[in-house]
Amino acid sequence: MSARRYVFAQMGDDFAAIAGREMPGVDGAEQQLLAWNLHLAARAGLGRAVGLLPSDIVFTEPPPARPAHPAG
Amino acid sequence: MFDLVIRNGLIVDGSGLPGRRGDVAISDGKVVSVGGRAGEARREIDATGKVVAPGFIDPHTHYDAQLCFDPYAFPAIEHGVTTVVPGNCSLSLAPLRAEQRVAFSSMFRLIEEMPEAAFDAGVDWRWGEDFGGMLDALTGNIALNVAPLVGHSVLRMYVMGDAAQERPATPEEIAAMADVLRQCLDAGAVGLSTSFVDIDETYRPVPSRWATPDELDALAAVLGERDRVLQIVHEFFDADLTVARVEQLAELSLRHGITTTLSPLFHSDANHHGVAKVMAAVEAARASGAAVWPQVQTRPIDISFTLDQRSLMLLTMPSWWKVASIRDRDEKLAAVLDKRQALVDEMNSLSRRPNGGLGAGGFVVRDVVHERNRDLVGRNIDDIARERGTSHGDTVVDLALDEGLGTWFIRESIGHNNSEVVGELLANPLVHVGASDGGAHVGSFSTFGDTGFLFSEFVRGTKSLSLEAAVKKITLDPATIWGLQGRGMLAPGYAADVVVFDADTIGRGPEVASDDFPGDGIRWIRRQEGIDTVVVNGEITWTADDGYIAGARAGAIATR
Repeated sequence: MSARRYVFAQMGDDFAAIAGREMPGVDGAEQQLLAWNLHLAARAGLGRAVGLLPSDIVFTEPPPARPAHPAG
Repeated sequence: MFDLVIRNGLIVDGSGLPGRRGDVAISDGKVVSVGGRAGEARREIDATGKVVAPGFIDPHTHYDAQLCFDPYAFPAIEHGVTTVVPGNCSLSLAPLRAEQRVAFSSMFRLIEEMPEAAFDAGVDWRWGEDFGGMLDALTGNIALNVAPLVGHSVLRMYVMGDAAQERPATPEEIAAMADVLRQCLDAGAVGLSTSFVDIDETYRPVPSRWATPDELDALAAVLGERDRVLQIVHEFFDADLTVARVEQLAELSLRHGITTTLSPLFHSDANHHGVAKVMAAVEAARASGAAVWPQVQTRPIDISFTLDQRSLMLLTMPSWWKVASIRDRDEKLAAVLDKRQALVDEMNSLSRRPNGGLGAGGFVVRDVVHERNRDLVGRNIDDIARERGTSHGDTVVDLALDEGLGTWFIRESIGHNNSEVVGELLANPLVHVGASDGGAHVGSFSTFGDTGFLFSEFVRGTKSLSLEAAVKKITLDPATIWGLQGRGMLAPGYAADVVVFDADTIGRGPEVASDDFPGDGIRWIRRQEGIDTVVVNGEITWTADDGYIAGARAGAIATR
């Protein structure tokens, strides 16, 4: 079992910067990154918002399709 | 003549091998002989019909503060727990500079849900600032063994000051952290803990989350120098993130030869496939030779709460969190009245979230302030709301306001409650029984009795584990994983940490409110069931007949 492809965020990163670095030439890459990383996108709504952290995992590919059976 | 002989019990020695009847002899704090018929002793215990096992080890606790004012970590010992690992989740009481105590205390109390009055009354910082001094202060003043972790957040604060929560460390600061970590390990720390999820009271990520992977790698290299453990609390709510963390830990384990552990790994019927995915990643890590141990708790997730104080439940409702954070009671009640509709709407929105189920309708009234509301105890909000013709949110707020926000609610079986599946997971040789959070979250749930529940639910109930396998899971397994040499087994030369219990009745007891902590308010605890005697380093520390033995202080720093 291998993790979804991911990178660690760098200090000062935002999704646009990561999209430019990891997905050059891909249309809508920033929006795709947002959709694949809702755990990070949601953070902006809480308290003193901070940007991405250097320990954050940022997925650079979508989640796999769920198995057909719950026990899969 | 021996100091103590425990006679004629079923000796389940922690190895996982079948138990056998015989005597256990103890002298000078050590096990002298196991099996056979021992000679005379100054003190004897008749264990006929009972199990004699090594003392239980709890590897994920937050007793840091409680141990400062309660040498027994009440009621941990009466559940058979003789060794605890505090300092988890990046938070330890040292090393910490004097001027950082206020900020740290606030963070610790929030994350671990420790009442301010209890923390402040108990933690007097008598050791000063360094880790070794803290362990010196505990030595001779504890009734159970302690194998403490150093908190990564604290380590960052100590070296970087306020910048610990603002930026990555410079190479010089990482080197300084490595030096301090070495000092802590040499003083007796069992390893380093870090957190990828926790926030402080301003929702700001804790210091450890500002560390780069390179910083963590440098600290893991120090752990490798001393063969110590790395503990993380990860994004446990997301299987893909957990898998990524398993792979990160596997890399660190292989690169530095260290043991790593992540906690918690929860199961719920809604994420069954996620647990399978995580365990597949763990199996792959193990196949590569990495030591990555998920910690699985035994108990289901139940959360009790009022609307009067911040709690885990209110973390999912930011508007309620803000209101509950107001210290002045009149001001707090005024805020609820002022923002009532928004607060009701937020509560009603719970049921619209993924896997939200009944939302607030699933809250059960646990206890009330006024006798006129007593008939509501035990009923769920959905039921009461239907009767009253009000929304779930309105029903909760109406009742809470009627009682000055003092009503206790409980949300039961939020997850980890499918005993057949959890039993199978606990029996998996690749998981580690842990994640009790002992001593933390005192107003949300009892963290005591998980060991008893292992036997009542998963040995006698689902029969997922044999008696011997269950004992091994909470004795020799954690002792080996955490490098606690000379503990976790009943064998000659091992530390005489022993629990005598009735295999037919050991359990966790009902969850009850206790007002024993300093300050106002209550905490939730469970008293033991089926435990007969607890021995720590050869000293009888608790018995069913006499309770806690006054003056028992045989606990040791298990890593010294």
